Amino acid sequence: MRAAALALLISAGVAGAIAGQADVKARLAGRLPPAVVGAVQQLVDSAVAKGLPGEPLVEKAIEGSAKRVEPARLLSAVRAVLGRLTDAWTALRAAGVLTPNRDAIETGAFALNAGLSAEQLRTLAAHTQAPHSLAATLRVAATLAALGVPANDAVRLVRDEIAAGRSPGDVLDLPRRVQMGMAGGASAAQAAGFARGTAQAPPEPPRGPPSSQGRPHKP
Amino acid sequence: MGPGQTRSDGEIVRSVLAGNVEDYAVLVRRYRDRYARYATEMLSSRDAAEDAVQDALVRAYDQLAHCRDPEKFAGWFFLILRNRCFAERRRWHREARSLEEHDEAIAGPERADGAVEVAERRRTIEEALQLLTAEQREVFVLKHVEELSYEEIAVRTGASVASLKMRMHRAYDRLRGELEE
Amino acid sequence: MVKSHHPLVRQLLDGELSLSELPPELRAEGDVALRWLAGVDRTPVVLSAAVEELVMAQVRRHARSPARRGWRWLLGPRELDIRLRVRPWVLGAVAAGAAALLVTLPRGVPRGVREVASTHPPVYVRFVLYAPGAGRVAVAGTFNQWDADAGPLAPTHTPGLWTATLPLLPGQHQYVFLVDGQRWVTDPAAPTVDDGFGRRNSVVAVSAQGGGGRAL
Repeated sequence: MRAAALALLISAGVAGAIAGQADVKARLAGRLPPAVVGAVQQLVDSAVAKGLPGEPLVEKAIEGSAKRVEPARLLSAVRAVLGRLTDAWTALRAAGVLTPNRDAIETGAFALNAGLSAEQLRTLAAHTQAPHSLAATLRVAATLAALGVPANDAVRLVRDEIAAGRSPGDVLDLPRRVQMGMAGGASAAQAAGFARGTAQAPPEPPRGPPSSQGRPHKP
Repeated sequence: MGPGQTRSDGEIVRSVLAGNVEDYAVLVRRYRDRYARYATEMLSSRDAAEDAVQDALVRAYDQLAHCRDPEKFAGWFFLILRNRCFAERRRWHREARSLEEHDEAIAGPERADGAVEVAERRRTIEEALQLLTAEQREVFVLKHVEELSYEEIAVRTGASVASLKMRMHRAYDRLRGELEE
Repeated sequence: MVKSHHPLVRQLLDGELSLSELPPELRAEGDVALRWLAGVDRTPVVLSAAVEELVMAQVRRHARSPARRGWRWLLGPRELDIRLRVRPWVLGAVAAGAAALLVTLPRGVPRGVREVASTHPPVYVRFVLYAPGAGRVAVAGTFNQWDADAGPLAPTHTPGLWTATLPLLPGQHQYVFLVDGQRWVTDPAAPTVDDGFGRRNSVVAVSAQGGGGRAL
């Protein structure tokens, strides 16, 4: 019974992969030369064979075609995406996530692109527990890093907020709080410090007439 | 009715009045968010806006038989919500609550504000908008956030275009006083 | 404090005049006023899906009341009687857990390249660019297959300000603005990442939360 179910799953996977192949060619034909389409196809097949999502690779190829990037550079970028997906999957598995889902893998790859290291992904995965979702945790840390918060600070902030028992909503709110701090004149790193629970109070927004910093830029 | 054709507001109102209560959910879905931004701006709080929209939708059901032109449910519902928002603001004043205490960042599916200048300017303007009267704030929100014309605002609120412009120009002057020097 | 605008500047703010139609001595005042007007927050607000359930619960109670007994009505398949005011993040914990179960796959069973998400509805995200002098502005990104034709921004009543509101599914999205079909411009109001082609992409990350969602 289990063997039959497993066979069914595998054949469904293969069927899915084949459907995916036709999909890749259909989506890239006309955008890219056939040789490039074929090369992207192979990379997608390689991703799918490893259990990784292939969609980010196709998206990167479409992006490259829209930006009129020359083929060698385009393929290099697609390979880099595959590399990050692989690294993200490896890091999450090493942290004990037995079957990282598609969202977590893609978000992990995004986090690597935003400047986090594989080690930092492992840290975040190891410290994420219900009700927090792994993908959301990674997404928040990656967004903080993309805002300019040093990766170490971003990871520490998210990890500490989870450990302090903050709700998922509060954690999702971290990038906004950091941006508010930056709007008040703090650096990204400082703003991350201010956003940390109530350990350090953020600067009070001015209640009186706006300061000169608040004035719209005069021509 | 063929596939892809949706029922008009009037058809749904008539159906609900005929006893098909569950049809009201269609109107709730249609209008849950339509004026959410307006209510949020008027009440400076997404939570307060959610309460106001919820109450207004229930009140609209209770008074559905009084909707004179079911095809114009949208405008009629807007008035119910508008009255609810103004009543809430009057209650704040009676309870001597500072409007600043209700000033929370407008939540919801926000765009990420990364640039310091943009975020700072937005906050400064929101603070200045707090200083307008309810009528001034309303015409400002309807014109510059909801992007309606004066004529459309006049139809919705029952005020004349001339008096709307006067309120708006006072709002501009007040904002200028707060935002410059 | 109140500081009067010149009547022509008021007309400018009302959208009845353009900046170039102002006398030269008023243009500086007009430009400053337009800039703060451009800074007003126009982000759409999406309320939680719980609103519908709460409203319908009350509506059904009212429909059952003696005053309405003369009406025929159809009972829904299930009666919801939610007495607590449920905040979105409470639903979010449940919904996120449910979504994770649906999305988690056994290893080695890819679902194909093009998976259509998900249990969560799209989140409406507003894109804004201040591009005075532009003839057309579009946004291209992962959410529209980098097709600028699928993401035109519309000019607003505020001169130079372009906007579009698009539905985005939960996940992280990369995008750039295309000005006049030629210039790729990142969003000054968003974080950026390397696009792998020597340039930067703007990023908006959308997380599912309850019946709705939010952009980070």
